[in-house]
Amino acid sequence: MTKQSTNMIKYIIKRILIMIPMLFIVLTFSWLLAHMMSMSPLNSYGNILDPEILEAERRRIGFYDPWYVKLFNYYKNFFTGNWGKSYVLRQNQPVYDMIVKEIFPRTLELMIFPIIISPIIAVKLGISSATNKDKAKDTSIRVLAILGAGFPVFWIAALTQVFFGYYLGIFTQGAFDLPVFSANTPGLFGPGPINAPKTGFRIIDSIIYNDQIYFYDTLIHLIMPGIVITFVSLAGVTRLTRSSMLDVLDQDYIRTARAKGVSEEVIRNKHALRNALLPTSNLIILGTATALLGSFFVEVTFRYTGFGYTLLMAIVRADYNVINGLVIFMTIILLTGTLVADVMYTIIDPRITYR
Amino acid sequence: MFIITDQAYTEEIGYEVSELPKKKKFFRFLKFYLIHGWRDPEFSDQEYQIEKIKSKRRLFRRLLKPLTITGFIMVLFVLILAVYAPWITEIPLPELVPPNIPVGGVPFDDPSADHPLGTTKYAYDILARIIWGARTTLFMALIPTTIAIGGGMILGTISAYFGGIVDYIIMRFVDLMYAFPTMILVIILIPIVGQALLTSLIIFGILFIPYNIRFMRSLVLKVKQLEFVNAAVTGGAQKFKLMFKHIVPNAISPMIISFFGGAAIAVLGLAGLAFIGYGDATVASWGTDINWARESLTAANAVIWPGIFIGIACIGFMIIGDGLRDALDPRLNL
Repeated sequence: MTKQSTNMIKYIIKRILIMIPMLFIVLTFSWLLAHMMSMSPLNSYGNILDPEILEAERRRIGFYDPWYVKLFNYYKNFFTGNWGKSYVLRQNQPVYDMIVKEIFPRTLELMIFPIIISPIIAVKLGISSATNKDKAKDTSIRVLAILGAGFPVFWIAALTQVFFGYYLGIFTQGAFDLPVFSANTPGLFGPGPINAPKTGFRIIDSIIYNDQIYFYDTLIHLIMPGIVITFVSLAGVTRLTRSSMLDVLDQDYIRTARAKGVSEEVIRNKHALRNALLPTSNLIILGTATALLGSFFVEVTFRYTGFGYTLLMAIVRADYNVINGLVIFMTIILLTGTLVADVMYTIIDPRITYR
Repeated sequence: MFIITDQAYTEEIGYEVSELPKKKKFFRFLKFYLIHGWRDPEFSDQEYQIEKIKSKRRLFRRLLKPLTITGFIMVLFVLILAVYAPWITEIPLPELVPPNIPVGGVPFDDPSADHPLGTTKYAYDILARIIWGARTTLFMALIPTTIAIGGGMILGTISAYFGGIVDYIIMRFVDLMYAFPTMILVIILIPIVGQALLTSLIIFGILFIPYNIRFMRSLVLKVKQLEFVNAAVTGGAQKFKLMFKHIVPNAISPMIISFFGGAAIAVLGLAGLAFIGYGDATVASWGTDINWARESLTAANAVIWPGIFIGIACIGFMIIGDGLRDALDPRLNL
């Protein structure tokens, strides 16, 4: 084993060990957040209970315990997988099941298309923008990128929704077009038998159980949000690729390659691009970690039950078990994502050494 | 014939070469002998003017690119709307916010002579709300960004300068904040602390401090190794004077550039917050307009115009930031 790889393994172990106290602080913080909320799920929005039932429920969840007992129980419940149950959003469904079996797969289903397509398009645009610097192509690509970044995401989403959904009628406006087979109805009419084992990915499920209407409906709900997210997330990678490509194209070894007669295409794709992609790849990996959390505003606009929309509904209805679970789950994804990004970066660029 | 006299010369330059009486000259030159490093104030004033014109010319020549000019025009447009709002529209602000409901108005109406861009919820005039909303937008751009960049600058400088345990604590705090998705945290916190405009601005600013801490820290770590810092230490400069008078002015220009990008992020984020219904309804804000317009799927005017104005403000800030970066750091092509 070389010295480099031992160093890297040491670094990874160190990072994972740092993650443990971080997780505890995050847990405490989200516990505090839940206690700062002014509403209670037990009597929010048409959930007004009988005082006796309310009292019993409060006893059951330990409402009257001292704070350190509450905090200890909170830690214990977190590590035993008992994340509480949803009070309002899903009647009495355990939060852990709800996130792992439904919301996370659905978010992934929405984001997998943008995660794959967006960096490819963005890098291509960045390259062609850099090689045609200050020409019409460059200007139009920069304008396109800045339009995606400058206009509000939810505004673009709402416009596409109104234009394609209402005026043209090609795609759906959200959740309301196929009432029986609505892709957003949670667990009501899933593809296949009700108690059958499911992956949670609706497309895969409907292929397994051969439910064509459901497949079509799910797909048509994914297309518009997917395109909007792709368009919006182009800007950062395009601009970074352009700038680092321009930096690399100025370097001496490119001039040497040109002098010895290497064709322009080979220079661009082999000599320049491989070096120019170093900073870009870091951004892409980090962006993937963030993209796994879903795109909040697009989900809210299209009423798609991913992380964002569920979180908003939970905030509105004060369903704090769901809020807690979602925040912790997202934080774990982000922590893991940054760790993976750092490790990948050492693999891609062997010049970097970690202490 | 045109002969340049002394008189004409002085008029053209704009300052006077004063003739001093002979008696005072000795006292005048006394300070040159006694105080080390003293310079003639008039001479240095002249030099200062020339330098100022020179540097201005250089910076402006690099700033004046078509794209940057477009950005300046866009932000200036929003600025004019904000400053001259009472002169541009006849409808005062209290008639455009919720406690007041116009009598006999049609909500989500098409454009007409009375309402050039149509009406939105409760029959408020869209054009007037957009014009008054420019003020809110400028607040959204300035206050959170100032808090985020100011806080990041102070903490980042302290962290990078002291190093050791201070650095460790501040950076662990930054790591912790990096672990949370920031925008999600804003959305959770604002319903808790209240929806008033100033509160949400301050919360937004505070939550974006960690990014600037990390940025400023990396900048200061670079500047700290330069020789003038050692010179200042040898000269006996105190710690905080060294930090904020010697190091910060030399590290600050990327932070100033990131001010504009931050302003765009703040406007977008706070508009998004208003869009999901947690905006301050007592002020005219463009995000709230879009939120209201979603109630009616046919109200194209009510959706399109506020969004376009948010876009104008944000793209303006972004383009100015890019242009400044080009002007101040010509090596970087972004």
